[in-house]
Amino acid sequence: MSEPSQTNEPALRIVDLRKRYPNGVEALRGVSLDIAEGELFGLLGPNGAGKSTLIHCTTGLAQPTGGEIRIFGHDAIHDYTRARQAVGLAPQELNVDWFLTVEETLDYHGGYFGMPKRERRRRAAELLETFALTEKRDERTRTLSGGMKRRLILARAVMHRPRLLILDEPTAGVDVELRLELWHYVRRINEEGTTILLTTHYLEEAEQLCDRIAFIAEGRIAAEGTSTELARRFGVPNLEDAYLALVGREELSRSHIEVAG
Amino acid sequence: MSGGSGGGARRAAWIRFATLWRREANRFMKIKKQTIGAPLLETFLYISVFGAALGSRIDKLHGIDYVVFVIPGLIMMAFSINAFANNSSSILQQKFQGAIQDQLSSPASPAELLLAFSLGGFARGLLVATLTFLASSLLVDLPVEHALVLVPALFLVGFFFSQLGVLVGVRAEQFDDVAFAQTFVLQPLIFLGGVFYSATLLPEPWETLTRFNPLYYMINLVRYGFVGYTEVSVALSLAALAAATAVLFAVNLRLFTRGYKLRA
Repeated sequence: MSEPSQTNEPALRIVDLRKRYPNGVEALRGVSLDIAEGELFGLLGPNGAGKSTLIHCTTGLAQPTGGEIRIFGHDAIHDYTRARQAVGLAPQELNVDWFLTVEETLDYHGGYFGMPKRERRRRAAELLETFALTEKRDERTRTLSGGMKRRLILARAVMHRPRLLILDEPTAGVDVELRLELWHYVRRINEEGTTILLTTHYLEEAEQLCDRIAFIAEGRIAAEGTSTELARRFGVPNLEDAYLALVGREELSRSHIEVAG
Repeated sequence: MSGGSGGGARRAAWIRFATLWRREANRFMKIKKQTIGAPLLETFLYISVFGAALGSRIDKLHGIDYVVFVIPGLIMMAFSINAFANNSSSILQQKFQGAIQDQLSSPASPAELLLAFSLGGFARGLLVATLTFLASSLLVDLPVEHALVLVPALFLVGFFFSQLGVLVGVRAEQFDDVAFAQTFVLQPLIFLGGVFYSATLLPEPWETLTRFNPLYYMINLVRYGFVGYTEVSVALSLAALAAATAVLFAVNLRLFTRGYKLRA
């Protein structure tokens, strides 16, 4: 579905992005970020830091009050058709359409992104297999377990073969087995060329998967780099301690527990 | 596919629109007992009560059998209420589930989204109205005197209420908002718009007040299309209805473009 790469434009370029909600909450206060094509980029931050708002602005679910978003060079606001065509979103909420079956969920998503019928059918069958949902293909989505809904949402996000995949806390509330399955899949499609932006609360997940990580706090990017660079920047031994330093909770560091123990 | 060539972009836009519309039709067909069966039953209860039971005791109205006088209004009522209810419920449900995000984050334009949502309710209204018409034709001798008025009148009525349903669905924050609009605004306006009677039979000030009810003009247009009787100017009413529908569509398109209550 996506155009082949023709330029050296970053997969995602965000410049001075601002978002103030009508209730006055300033969720983003001038975020700038570049994610290169092929990167697996992690966005970490406490609840309410602005992670989901940033994702919503990028995918058209929220309207920025200032700044610029470019997806493979396409302006996400003025050239949204091309920009959104290149993005797949697996949101945090299990927002499946209750009226659709599992297979319809994929088929309709493909249609919303302009995929012809034959291609939709082929791709849906392939993804149902990949995510072990083939047996459930004719079931209504509301009958699925939480884990299955999570898999379906990821399958839906990649249905139209986006070049940039955005995963908003993809492993929140899933069991260990599924978490590892999702990690394997994410790593595989990243190796195949898909750029990935991942938000997570699990520092281990970010460390395991991401090439680069940005800390976001109070609507601003507080620090950015590899996990080693971030630890060095905060003068601590690891990413977790760097995160604790960011949120001002150094006393929670595990090194204290180990020393105390 | 992502808008590179003109033909490819047009084809993608068509697939997007067709899929968005298919989702709406699929939804109401999956719950057809509620979305098709119930309104059909309701219409037939009206026909039975007002046509067969009471109608036999009522003289002709303006030279028309009472049941034949009532049926055009019932067809118009079925079209409008179903078009409205479908769109207002569907949009609110999708907002609640968050499933609407899948459509809003797609490359679909505001116009594609608005038209697809509108035509979902239009299709349901048309289906119920057509079935009511076919079944009524079997029960009574229902003429179609002015098809050239009837078809555009029904089309405009359906599209107007589809748009109204979209507007209420987008604005609504809870199911109570949708129920309020339907039960306390739409339904009384339809009933008091002369579905079951001729406004000329009403004492003052009710006859004059009825003329301030926009539904009165819609019912008269449809009745004129079927039986050739009207209490209002057909040309003026059609023109006013077309203008109101166009204005409502423009308002909705502006709201969709701004992302009003759809995009944060």
